[in-house]
Amino acid sequence: MGGKVSCTLGEVKNRADLIVYWGGNPAECHPRHFTRYTLTQKGKFTPNGRKDRTMILVDIRETPSVKAADIFLQVKPTKDFEVITLLRAIIKGQSVDQAQVAETGLTLEQLQDFADRLKKARFGVFFFGMGLSMTRGKYMNSAALLTLAAELNAFTKFVAMPMRGHGNVTGGDVIMRYTTGYPFGVSLTRGYPRFNPGEFSTIDLLIRGDCDAALILGADPAATMPQPAIDHLASIPTIVLDPKVTHTSKIARVHFTTAATGISAPGTAYRMDEIPLPLKPILNSPYPTDEEVLKRIYRAVSKKPPLMPPVKINSPDKLTKSGQKAG
Amino acid sequence: MSKTVLTLKVQPNIPLEAELLSPDIIAPLGNQEIAALPVILGKRQKRLDDFFHIEGDGSETLEIHGDLGRVKWIGRGMTRGNILVHGNAGMHLGAYMKGGSIEVGGNASDWVGGEMKGGSIHIRGNAGGQLGAAYRGSLSGMKGGTILVEGTAGIEVGMRMRRGVIAVRGRVKDFAGLQMKGGTIVLMSGAEIRTGAWMVRGTIISLEPLKLMPTFEFACAYNPVFMGIYAKSLSSKGFNIPYKMANGCYRRFQGDSSVPGKGEILVWNPNQ
Amino acid sequence: MAGNSKLRITGARVYDPANGINGEIKDICICDGKIVADIEGGRTINATGMVVFPGGVDVHTHVAGAALNFARGMLPEDHRQNDPFVRTRNLRCGISGATPTSFVTGYLYAGLGYTTVNEAAVPILTARHTHEELRDTPIVDKSTCVLMANNEILMELLEAGEYERGRDVVAWNIWAAKAYGVKAVNPGGVAGWKWGKDCKGLNEIVPGFNKITPRQIIAGLANIVDDLGLPHPVHLHCNNLGAPGNVSTTLEIMKILENNRAHLAHLQYHAYGGDDWFNMCSASAKIAEEFNKRKNLTTDAGAVLFGNTVTITADGPWQHLLYKLTGKKWGNIDVENETGCGVVPYVYKEKNIVNAVQWAVGLELLLLIDDPWRVFLTTDHPNGAAFWRYPEIIHLLMNADFRREQIAKLAPEAIGRILLPELNREYTLFEIAIITSAGPARSLGLPHKGNLGVGSDGDVTVFSHTDDVAKMFAYPRYVIKGGEIIIEEGEMRNTVEGKGILSKPFYDPKVEDFLRPQFQQFYTVSFDNYPVEIERIEHPDIRPCKGVQS
Repeated sequence: MGGKVSCTLGEVKNRADLIVYWGGNPAECHPRHFTRYTLTQKGKFTPNGRKDRTMILVDIRETPSVKAADIFLQVKPTKDFEVITLLRAIIKGQSVDQAQVAETGLTLEQLQDFADRLKKARFGVFFFGMGLSMTRGKYMNSAALLTLAAELNAFTKFVAMPMRGHGNVTGGDVIMRYTTGYPFGVSLTRGYPRFNPGEFSTIDLLIRGDCDAALILGADPAATMPQPAIDHLASIPTIVLDPKVTHTSKIARVHFTTAATGISAPGTAYRMDEIPLPLKPILNSPYPTDEEVLKRIYRAVSKKPPLMPPVKINSPDKLTKSGQKAG
Repeated sequence: MSKTVLTLKVQPNIPLEAELLSPDIIAPLGNQEIAALPVILGKRQKRLDDFFHIEGDGSETLEIHGDLGRVKWIGRGMTRGNILVHGNAGMHLGAYMKGGSIEVGGNASDWVGGEMKGGSIHIRGNAGGQLGAAYRGSLSGMKGGTILVEGTAGIEVGMRMRRGVIAVRGRVKDFAGLQMKGGTIVLMSGAEIRTGAWMVRGTIISLEPLKLMPTFEFACAYNPVFMGIYAKSLSSKGFNIPYKMANGCYRRFQGDSSVPGKGEILVWNPNQ
Repeated sequence: MAGNSKLRITGARVYDPANGINGEIKDICICDGKIVADIEGGRTINATGMVVFPGGVDVHTHVAGAALNFARGMLPEDHRQNDPFVRTRNLRCGISGATPTSFVTGYLYAGLGYTTVNEAAVPILTARHTHEELRDTPIVDKSTCVLMANNEILMELLEAGEYERGRDVVAWNIWAAKAYGVKAVNPGGVAGWKWGKDCKGLNEIVPGFNKITPRQIIAGLANIVDDLGLPHPVHLHCNNLGAPGNVSTTLEIMKILENNRAHLAHLQYHAYGGDDWFNMCSASAKIAEEFNKRKNLTTDAGAVLFGNTVTITADGPWQHLLYKLTGKKWGNIDVENETGCGVVPYVYKEKNIVNAVQWAVGLELLLLIDDPWRVFLTTDHPNGAAFWRYPEIIHLLMNADFRREQIAKLAPEAIGRILLPELNREYTLFEIAIITSAGPARSLGLPHKGNLGVGSDGDVTVFSHTDDVAKMFAYPRYVIKGGEIIIEEGEMRNTVEGKGILSKPFYDPKVEDFLRPQFQQFYTVSFDNYPVEIERIEHPDIRPCKGVQS
């Protein structure tokens, strides 16, 4: 079933001789990526830096990142899943339907060459952007590339990792995992964590109108989400914690101005490879930190009579084994 | 035959989780006990009669009236009896069910029959995505039973299903039969893209031409013997699939070679 | 945090092996969180007819950190299958199963009467994250072992024969990671995995290096740990984990360690005979015979129980093999210059011959190693089984008839490959107290843990004394941590924060001048951001080292 095979960015710097960016434009969106981690750095086993590496860019259109690439493969829009699935078949020596290959925008020769390069790499890496993970097929496109990377390990060393958006998205994932067991799309309404992206993920909840209040931290959904989701946010009590005025704060019922984390508030941010980095404030802020605001809200809520979780009835997830010991 | 009739009197403004709406739970109870059954509105526990008017004592047949589009988990894990919903049904209808039958007059939401093992579900309107699918991370979707949909269905129909039958009269969206491991999906009006992607085993039958993945290869054109048996069984439920040589034949495609898998997609090719 | 109330437990049979107390009825008194000889006043728990143990100590478990957290995200199906922890007035909600969430981990350990755990694998680069999780793991005290055996800076130093600087680097890294001990996982093999290779022979040159071999890494690290005088010896996960015929490697490693202290982790995975999956068999007799002679070693069982779990180890090559064998899911994260980690969900089945042999070997080692002070109860959580299943193993150890019933369920082909049917030994309560508490505390070098002597921490567990051993150990009547009653009448009524147990071995501060440029060249975080700030450790308890001082 594949899996998720990854590494920290230092491994890429020290070892990677084949770097594939898929559905992303790092030259403009992650401008320091090439120079700090992937292309030009001289690593332990890549002493000549850029000369020791091959970069392949896969995208649906030419972007400024093409200039940095040795090979640019232009796939037709919404054909990424097909291309990756073809590569999975080709690396295993399986036959594919020639006529359909053409529709991906690549020739069978190009795909065969690509597959050969993937297999022959000493240490290969896929970095994938929202051009892959947010287009038709969504998470299955990411799953496809992760699976391809896992399967390539039958031939050589290969890893894959997503290029995350702005803010501390990775940190959010990490904390959710160790407190609830799941990375996102978690519901605590029954008094314990349940996970179902599509049901409990933010955009879906908002579009269906399934929530009647919102607390927003470190994000500006009104700038990025579909209009029906924004309309619902505007119609319910929405509370925003943000150092500045944002699209979301403008439609919110309450906006707490908070100190900017990393500038005037300390904390920890997780890099895209899940390395935790300490944030050291350099300025003082007249505003409270996010943490202080949340703690004060929590204290105020704690004064109300506790709303205990609903009684445990035939609970919605399958319950077979008993792990519960106390409580 | 006696029946229990529930009528929605208060429309919930946020999702209402009502997994106790199942003949297994309700049949042995009296009217007042049914009324007191817990349901969960958001994070708050309520009584069933806060939302429903309840007629009759418990029975094997549960008739529910109203727009239950926000009512989740109806018939969860049921093993017997019947549920008739005169209206729409919310997410996870008949999830994990093992027996009995559910019929919905209106539309149903996502995850109808998620990981079900037996029984039958019939949706008169449209269904959402993930019909009979595996919940996230699970290795297998439905392992038995039947899901029939008269309208359309969403993405990932029969994802990772292992056994059982899903038939959809309307068109379905992307990824029908994704990572399928067995069982049968019948698409009366075809599908959008990526049908059968990453399938390992199992059969997808389409009466309309399909846009296939490049990792499926044409094998042969024929009329498999088992189609006659399928056709008879499905025609009793109003789904007529052709199986006679005189009318045409099936083009058989095998894949998904990326796995590599031995699934089959049979696309009906009528005599012109 | 120390309880300022006084507490007396009276009437119970006390098992305190460190002080030679074997089932005597005596009072245990606690004042200000410590065991005292006597108290006046305070609360009295009447434990007549019950059994008192020192709080449990787990010498080898994986309860926090990037690897475990990676596994959590991979297993939604396992989370759904296990009873969740529902929020109560004093407990946070969470998930149980193979990879419990951080708060639930604390509740589950305390729920077994365990009060100290050793997280056995921490990469320095993500140590900050491990400590974040440990802060949110309540009740238990926590120590950590930092991964050093595939640290490329250290390996280069050992390769160049720069032993003393290597020792400074290790000491610096322990303090940078705010760790307690040193873990060595598949020395050289994980570094080899960075190229998709392994290092199976102890005399093979590590891929990517010029001359260093696993043998040299093992010997070097063991010497360094002894010279630094760390309270816990080198904590070694031997090469060739899980492979048929690996008994020869394990015996060879015991020889390398002849003149050192060492703890061999999860010995079950290193005690197989045969030479492929088809003739794999138990080699526990050979291992136990050799181990019994070598008093410088301790070990833990790494026992296996049948059922679902997930395997998580820094042993990347083994995990890739396991993924290919199971064909299910596979996760892997390589950590630059230091280590790697693999995650593969796994089901141990009674009818699978290999699994049946593994199950037997874990128990055989516990029964064949004659000194309970040197072999401890673990499952290498979550690799062999989740830690909350320890009571099932205790049941198997204490009851030979029950063991035979279970053997009867194994695949018949497995019987000829194991010794277990011939072993009649039954553990006593005294011995159980050693392998679950007194022994691991001694091996970890924690004199204030695992015993009920005056001055020790007030960590006490009270069990009902019943014949249903599995139930007795799964549901303690009282659990007291640092003098605070956590579990009362089988119910968790209170939680406390645990301590972070650290060690600070001596190093020449000039080693930073050597490390800084190495960092700039090979790492991707700045040198100054690498060490974990001491402020991030919850209630730090820095333990003394007896080694080099200058």
